[in-house]
Amino acid sequence: MNIAQQLVNGIIIGHAYALVAIGWTLLLGAARLVNFGHGQIYMVSAFVAWWIMSMTGAPYVLAVVVAIAAGAVIGAIMQRLFLRLTLSQDLVNLMIATLGFGQILEGAAGLTFGPKPETLTSPLQAVTFDFGPVWFTAQDALAVGATILVFLGLHVVLNRTRFGAAVRMVAEDPPLVALYGIPISRVYISIFAFEGAAVALAATLIAPRTPILTSMGFEQVVMTFVVVVLGGIGSVGGSYVAGLLLGLFTAIFSALISPAYTTAAVFALLIAFMVLRPGKLAAGGNFAR
Amino acid sequence: MNAHPTYFRILGTVALALLGFFLPRFLGGSSHVYDTLGTIASFSAMSYGLDIILSDLGEISLAHTAFFATGAYASAILSVDYGQGAWVAMAGAVLAALALALVLGLITLRTREFAFSLVTYAAAVVCMNIAANWDFLGGSDGIVGIPPLALTIGPLSFAASQPPQFWPFAYGLLLLTLYVVHRFRRSRLGQAALMVHMNPRLASMCGVDGNRVRLLVFLVSAPISALAGWLYAFQRAYVGTDLFDTYFLVLMLTGVILAGRRLLLGPLLGTALLVGQKSFFSLGAYGDKLVLGAVLVGVLCFCPKGLASLWPRAPGRALRQM
Repeated sequence: MNIAQQLVNGIIIGHAYALVAIGWTLLLGAARLVNFGHGQIYMVSAFVAWWIMSMTGAPYVLAVVVAIAAGAVIGAIMQRLFLRLTLSQDLVNLMIATLGFGQILEGAAGLTFGPKPETLTSPLQAVTFDFGPVWFTAQDALAVGATILVFLGLHVVLNRTRFGAAVRMVAEDPPLVALYGIPISRVYISIFAFEGAAVALAATLIAPRTPILTSMGFEQVVMTFVVVVLGGIGSVGGSYVAGLLLGLFTAIFSALISPAYTTAAVFALLIAFMVLRPGKLAAGGNFAR
Repeated sequence: MNAHPTYFRILGTVALALLGFFLPRFLGGSSHVYDTLGTIASFSAMSYGLDIILSDLGEISLAHTAFFATGAYASAILSVDYGQGAWVAMAGAVLAALALALVLGLITLRTREFAFSLVTYAAAVVCMNIAANWDFLGGSDGIVGIPPLALTIGPLSFAASQPPQFWPFAYGLLLLTLYVVHRFRRSRLGQAALMVHMNPRLASMCGVDGNRVRLLVFLVSAPISALAGWLYAFQRAYVGTDLFDTYFLVLMLTGVILAGRRLLLGPLLGTALLVGQKSFFSLGAYGDKLVLGAVLVGVLCFCPKGLASLWPRAPGRALRQM
């Protein structure tokens, strides 16, 4: 077995997990929302990019931009729908409402884009780098670079700007923030739009690796759930580390033990973690660190 | 609530049960009608398993697809691989679900609300991944060739290969489920569950062990969904990983929430509306998915107490007294 290649694969997959997770992490940290529709936003964004490219012949870059805009719009719609539940912090109902939202997106995407598998083509997918026993594509490099940039950017915004401070305040105590005179629904809408836009960026960068299907929402992002929860609820830095570790674990476990049972192993670890460290699940404390 | 139901109420219940039995005939008696109502009966039985957890214990379990699938898989394995009859398959389904519920119940014992839902979700993902890869469970192909349902009770034997012959079984299971849920809500355990849900501190002051109650309620709930899986396996003659599909989870949740929580007939009505739409007014697979999602989001966002709450007086009371 080529250990170096597995490590590289792990790093790439890990960054992909982290990038897919980042919007959800912020959403969970700031609005306490477990978004089970996350995978469907990923799927719809990938299809929007594919559709733009195949209908208009637009270049990949433009498709990425349009998909990000579409993701942000979906996030904003979600926020409008769930405003009441978010403000009342009815967490469990909010969570199952996102399951329904995911079904809506999946149904609508199926009606719009059809049941066939499609391919989102990125010109960078064909460019490969070989370093002795190790190789990767330019698309992989782009995904890793973009992940690092997005995480750094989010870190700076949350910790160095007034807006970031407002987001952190909303995460702590929404009613108090409202009393202070900050329009919390505007903060929420930015958080939700960021969730949509970030997962759309992730989709356009990562979906070219595999064919896309309107039913892929669940399996493409199921690992993200683990990243978000393991990273410490809502911790931005934590989810980067969790994503990276999970990517390495996935690559090594599937190479050494069994590719088929990787998901089961990861989720079993997650269960063990949640049961043994239940305090970690109490959202709050480490947000934005 | 009246502890001694009047004869009038018993008579009404029996009349309604009989009326329900002949409902497919009133609706035209076609094979499609029987099939739809049979599906409504088994899916609402599945939803009742979740209903107990959601309405009485106040937690949202996302693992009930796994109990449903466990029942179906146990039945498929016992009847296809080991050539056993439907009774043995039924016992197997219940035992397998109890075993899984015991493990899951112990694991989730100390988790509440949010964490409980996340752990049960993770558990369902583990089960699905195992079912998709373990050859004993049929792997990604599932298990095909489940024989038609045949049950022998003393000298009588019933077999069901067509939807109309299948209906009495499905209806029987539904009635049994309704009876169990009704009894559960009046039992000491059911009352304790509600107390643990509504006021955990009061419960512990009254000497009710919250963790024990939670575990027991889990053990009551799982076999209900598993029995629905048992029936569904025979109905479809095939089990596969699609039993873990989010569709079933969303169907169960919506079925329970749509009419209103803690209404005995609520999950039945909710499931009937959803399955009925899919069967008689289908908009295609994707359209139906959209409708299902929209109903769930709509109820939660605009009418979180369920449709019954829109009708403030009569139906809520009437349904609860049934």
